[in-house]
Amino acid sequence: MSNSKQRPSDAAAHAERTPNVDDDAPLDPAAMYALMQNQQRSIESQVNGFVPVITMAWGLTWLLGFGALWLIDGARPGFALAMPVAIGIFVACVAVTSALSAWLGIRSGRGLRGSTAAAFTGTAYGVTWGVGATALGVLGGALRSAGMTAEMANFYYPSAYVFFAGIMYMIAGAIWRTVPSLVAGIWLVAIAAAAPYFGYPNHYLFLALAGGLAFIALAVLSLVRLRRLRAAASGSARRG
Amino acid sequence: MAALSTLELDESISFPRLQELLDMTAGNLSTHLRKLEDASYVDITKAHKGRTPITYLGLSKKGRRAFEDYMDNLRTVLGEQR
Repeated sequence: MSNSKQRPSDAAAHAERTPNVDDDAPLDPAAMYALMQNQQRSIESQVNGFVPVITMAWGLTWLLGFGALWLIDGARPGFALAMPVAIGIFVACVAVTSALSAWLGIRSGRGLRGSTAAAFTGTAYGVTWGVGATALGVLGGALRSAGMTAEMANFYYPSAYVFFAGIMYMIAGAIWRTVPSLVAGIWLVAIAAAAPYFGYPNHYLFLALAGGLAFIALAVLSLVRLRRLRAAASGSARRG
Repeated sequence: MAALSTLELDESISFPRLQELLDMTAGNLSTHLRKLEDASYVDITKAHKGRTPITYLGLSKKGRRAFEDYMDNLRTVLGEQR
């Protein structure tokens, strides 16, 4: 099938034509440029199709998880959620969303094979999450044994973990050059630092709203961008 | 090539995954890839997952350069700013 006399540039141009395009009808430069751009958009939208889902899931997790912690004392005397129930809701939300994120991430990356350097970066980044989260828990325990009160621990744990998550988002944004991740990271660091100013238990409500609504807004924005990419890609196919 | 150009440098994609993303038949995709392989524009590596052979595809340096040059040329023809 191959044509050994074909020039490389012809090969590149030929290979861009999808089955929807008649090979016998050469495309003009504008149509060819649009076709290639939209094929890139199509791939990008398919590979990143999971992003709005994960982002929305984290937004709901923040709202429900920190909302549950706020309801331990925040809506008294009208309503109070038992502490074990609230902590259970928080842990369950984080666990389910973490599992969903991992599953969707693995699914979207199936069939892709990175370089050794990229694999090392990914592994090191994943390990950093585990090491950092464990160390913050150990540090909290150490501070408690050194005299930190339960009231102070109520501020330490959420702010420390939100701060750490923010730093990790910023690192992810820097490594993989994703501006939304960088912006989300900066926002998380900022709200982690500001949360204790709201006092107990309203710092939980602040984290639920400032974190949850920010992730939901980010999910909506990424969904809009994804739909635009898909519309552009399918528009090209129709034109082809 | 446009699809492969979305991969990072040194990143590759399995044949079935590329076929799924491009919504092409295996035969059609093979024909396209053979032309690109003849021009040394793609690197094709064979690997095994258990006993199943998997073909991975990525743009070669020559292919990436040719694609970027081609896009630049199109932009020039179309009078676009880079």
